[in-house]
Amino acid sequence: MAAAGRTARGLRRVPGTAAPQAPRTRQEPREERRRRRPVQYKLFSLGAGLDMPLLIFILVLLAIGLVMLFSASYAYSYFHYGNSYFFISRQAVFAVAGVIAMLVISTFDYHRFHQLAIVIFGISVFLLVFLLICRYAHIESIARPEGTATRWLDFGFVSFQPSEIAKFALIVMFAHMISQNLEKMGTFRYGVVPYVGILALFAALIYLEDHLSATLIILALGAILMFVGGTKPKWFILGIILLAAGLTAILMVKGGYQVSRIMVWLDPFSSELDPDLTHQTRQSLYAIGSGGLLGVGLGQSRQKYLYLPEPQNDFIFAVVCEELGMVGALVIIVLFAMLIWRGVYISVHAKDKFGMLLGLGITFQVGLQTVLNICVVTNTIPNTGISLPFFSYGGTALLMLLGQMGILLNISRSANVEKT
Amino acid sequence: MWRKAMGLTAALVFIGFGAVLVSLFRWQIVRGEEMSNAALDQSLRSTTLSAMRGSIYDATGKVLAQSASVWTVVLEPAYFDDYKERDPDTVRRTVASGLASILDMDEEEIYEKTQGNSYFVYLKRRVETSVRDQINEFLEKNEISSGVRLIEDYKRYYPYGTVASTVLGFTGTDGQGLEGLELQYDTELSGTAGRLISAQNAWGTDMPFEYEQYVEAEDGYNLVLTIDETVQSILEKYLAEGVEQFNVKNGAVAICMDVDTGAILGMAATPTYDPNDPFTIYDEGLQAEIDALSGDEQDEAFNAAQLKQWRNKAVTDTYYPGSVFKMVTYAMGLEEGVVTEDSTFTCTGGIMVEGYPEPISCWKHAPGHGLETFREGLYNSCNPWAIHIGQLLGGETFAKYREAFGFTESTGIDLPGEAVTLYHTESELINTPSDLAVESFGQNFSITPIHMITAAAAIANGGNLVTPHVMDRIVDQNGNIVKTADTSYRRQVVSQETCDVIIDILRQNVEEGTATGGYVAGYRVCGKTGTSEKVAQHNEDPSKPMEYIASFCGFAPAEDPKYALLVFFDEPDDDTNGGYNGGNAVAGPYFAKMMEEILPYLGVEAQYSEEEYAALDTIAPNVTGLTLEEAYAELEEAGLSYYVVGDESDGSIEVTAQVPQSGGAVPKDGKVVLYTNGYDEDSTYVEVPSFIGFDVTNASYLASINQLQISVSGSSSETAEVTGQSVQPGEKVQIGTVISLSFVDNTNAETGATVETE
Repeated sequence: MAAAGRTARGLRRVPGTAAPQAPRTRQEPREERRRRRPVQYKLFSLGAGLDMPLLIFILVLLAIGLVMLFSASYAYSYFHYGNSYFFISRQAVFAVAGVIAMLVISTFDYHRFHQLAIVIFGISVFLLVFLLICRYAHIESIARPEGTATRWLDFGFVSFQPSEIAKFALIVMFAHMISQNLEKMGTFRYGVVPYVGILALFAALIYLEDHLSATLIILALGAILMFVGGTKPKWFILGIILLAAGLTAILMVKGGYQVSRIMVWLDPFSSELDPDLTHQTRQSLYAIGSGGLLGVGLGQSRQKYLYLPEPQNDFIFAVVCEELGMVGALVIIVLFAMLIWRGVYISVHAKDKFGMLLGLGITFQVGLQTVLNICVVTNTIPNTGISLPFFSYGGTALLMLLGQMGILLNISRSANVEKT
Repeated sequence: MWRKAMGLTAALVFIGFGAVLVSLFRWQIVRGEEMSNAALDQSLRSTTLSAMRGSIYDATGKVLAQSASVWTVVLEPAYFDDYKERDPDTVRRTVASGLASILDMDEEEIYEKTQGNSYFVYLKRRVETSVRDQINEFLEKNEISSGVRLIEDYKRYYPYGTVASTVLGFTGTDGQGLEGLELQYDTELSGTAGRLISAQNAWGTDMPFEYEQYVEAEDGYNLVLTIDETVQSILEKYLAEGVEQFNVKNGAVAICMDVDTGAILGMAATPTYDPNDPFTIYDEGLQAEIDALSGDEQDEAFNAAQLKQWRNKAVTDTYYPGSVFKMVTYAMGLEEGVVTEDSTFTCTGGIMVEGYPEPISCWKHAPGHGLETFREGLYNSCNPWAIHIGQLLGGETFAKYREAFGFTESTGIDLPGEAVTLYHTESELINTPSDLAVESFGQNFSITPIHMITAAAAIANGGNLVTPHVMDRIVDQNGNIVKTADTSYRRQVVSQETCDVIIDILRQNVEEGTATGGYVAGYRVCGKTGTSEKVAQHNEDPSKPMEYIASFCGFAPAEDPKYALLVFFDEPDDDTNGGYNGGNAVAGPYFAKMMEEILPYLGVEAQYSEEEYAALDTIAPNVTGLTLEEAYAELEEAGLSYYVVGDESDGSIEVTAQVPQSGGAVPKDGKVVLYTNGYDEDSTYVEVPSFIGFDVTNASYLASINQLQISVSGSSSETAEVTGQSVQPGEKVQIGTVISLSFVDNTNAETGATVETE
């Protein structure tokens, strides 16, 4: 396999460096052939062809994430549910289920998503619209409002954020569309219009939930895939200008809330701001600062004792910083960076463009969320609700994340990379 | 495509995580401590644990100041809501009524205070331990486990009351030293408060895990003083007596110092107060004056009166040392060699000084003292002689010695508020001869009593300037010495030879000079009188008569001086003393009385001359309860005679009472009056006559015709007259009572020296 991999890699390098048109005729039939060849995956051979570094990064991050979730959540859990294990026990169940799902999905040929793309897209749009309907119909048992926003759909047995599904739907849809129209990506009609249309639809629907951070992430994900796919750079410049204008308009029109977030960001210890507004950021920085270089020790955080709001969720990384210090935080950041690097590495070495785009989309989604979450926690950017992959509490989110990791692992099976 | 992907990845990782790193560094390292402290601040509840303030002991180990536990009752209203099974409000009511009756407070007021969300509301401070026990019992009985807290605190007690109060000072409500030694050694005495730190979560309840930090309070150090309670009490007793006798208007001071070390054995000042309750005015007359006022005036007067009684006049007030200072001038002259013991000078009752229109007069007006030797000049307390020395020294040398004797700087005594001295500058002394002239005999030049006695001690110990101090050592709670007083000499000022001469002159001065009031039988005492005119005060309002400060400064024993004593009365009323306002007549006898008791107590052995021995008192034996015959025998054995009042027909009749009482002093050849029965009660009482102004012979005669006895103290010279008596005229006493009389020889005593006020 290794010898074949080297050969294939050598061949695949040619189109990237030489003129794109010339070798395409030779390349396409080969891809066709590979696709048609049935892959003989068996359950007992789950490990066969899996990228071990990626799997290890995933499992290590998941393990650390669970430990930190327990540490961060038990005080909060105890005070709100009378049971220190409330969060960790649920999360653990989902983690186990998620890992199983991940391994199963890693045997599921990702090319099936060509066909599933439109279905997933449809479901996603339906769910987004459904959420909005429920929201404006004030069906709060289903559309659970949180503050000004309504992000969760709750069907009793399961609750999730449709925007999470939308992100995945967008990745699959874009990967599918771009890989089908690679050669026309340079044109306005095929390279810009359909994607902008889809993006605009998603962005509008999610924005109507009052979920600005998810809106921005989905726009970023779409743009990244378009950029990699070959959309002309000028459109991005235009897009960024339009986005900036749009954000400015939002700030002007909806002003107050978003402006105050920026004020808090600029000076979280300002005595002029409402202490309720600065509370979360302040407590997060207290926690981070308390950790110092080496941390106060695992389980020793004081800030998690009801000072830090929802320490098991968006601000779990503050507890990490407090307990494990700067050194511990850096170790975790490096692990994330290695996961991202490995995800991207696998993606660019994927067997085909669809695999590449799908893998990149998934990896970037994790990467963006991670970076943005940690930036928020450390007050590097204004506060906005983004959870930390593998760490933050949320069963369905973890399940979806691990499912997507499964897809990435599946891509790795057929990718031309050293897998040990 | 992969290049774009890799580029984007690099951008995400490097820019994203790079920014995060910067933030982490900023918040965890750069501002880490600040954040950490802020986090701790919000989560830690700290309770201060009071440290026990150290005690103050006198030189013999008697406790002069001590702290004892008291309790502060604190309410924690927020905790009442925890009584869910019982109605919180019922609990509040129970607490309010229970505490109201125990603490003698208003129930409604307490109930009010149990409301709200606070964790700390003061209810009552300084509750005694017995009351705390009652509260605990009440809480236990009513099963109240939270909401009321008792915090240990300390209260200061001064077991000897007013004794040494102006030196000790007192503490405020929070136990901080406010005056005197309590202020001076506040840091050492107060110790370090401890803290009980416990973590609480954002809901204010304790965190479910143990996070408690207990920093034990470190009790304060103890202070051991050089002050001896016995000496102190002797000083205070006689000072108060003197103030009353002479109707002294502006307070009085007595300081007793060990001349070799500068250790203060006693330091008394009037008015005084009880540090157990320092805020009450103890001068009844003053309190009455204050009561007569109203509004702001009253407050002002009250504050002024408080400050006055808290003042330690011995260090905070300045005065003109007057003639006492002459011992210093004479020592300067001798040391510098401008005069010798054999030098002579003629006093004409005044001396013309350049730049001053009139002669500066001697207290002995023209014709003055006439031709005097150096020795006569000092023991006559002659002003022109002192001026003469000053002129021979010149301003520069005079200033040099004045500085050497410590008059121009702080003495360094460890008491707060030492006043700054006021003197003419060196150039003034050089350029204005009259300034030099007046300073030579101690006028127009302000120092504190502690300055004067320190200089006198230097002469007494052979010329070394010491640092006066009241703290002997500071010890910790285990008795380890933390600090000891520095008893080293500050510097040698004059030579031993010079001192020997001055000491001998001052001894002679007490025996036959102008300081005979300070005579103490059995001891060779050195002394110098001073009568300072309060010129500045007089100049302010010349319509009032000139006031004086009568002082007496000396030391004993002359053969090897050990203890110096300075006594001064500020503004004695000369009408009470036959017109004698001088240091000899007013301060002398009290100096003598104090020395008479202090010296034997401090172990200085008395050496009586035959004459003195004869005049000594003996102790009356106990003969009450014996038969007359037995009593006669006992008294004869003691060398005493007797006199019987009542039935003496039979030697077996029992003695029912005696005067003087058993153990009382009776003159060597005196009588003990024995009472039997069947006498007329009234006839046994006599009215005490006034002995003031009588010489010994006449006083004895007066006593005998009144069926009283006298005990003589002070000058034994033929010309000495009574200046004070132990029982005031007009009082009724039993016959045979011994009246102690103070004799002072005033024939050679200076009166208020006169300068610039002729």
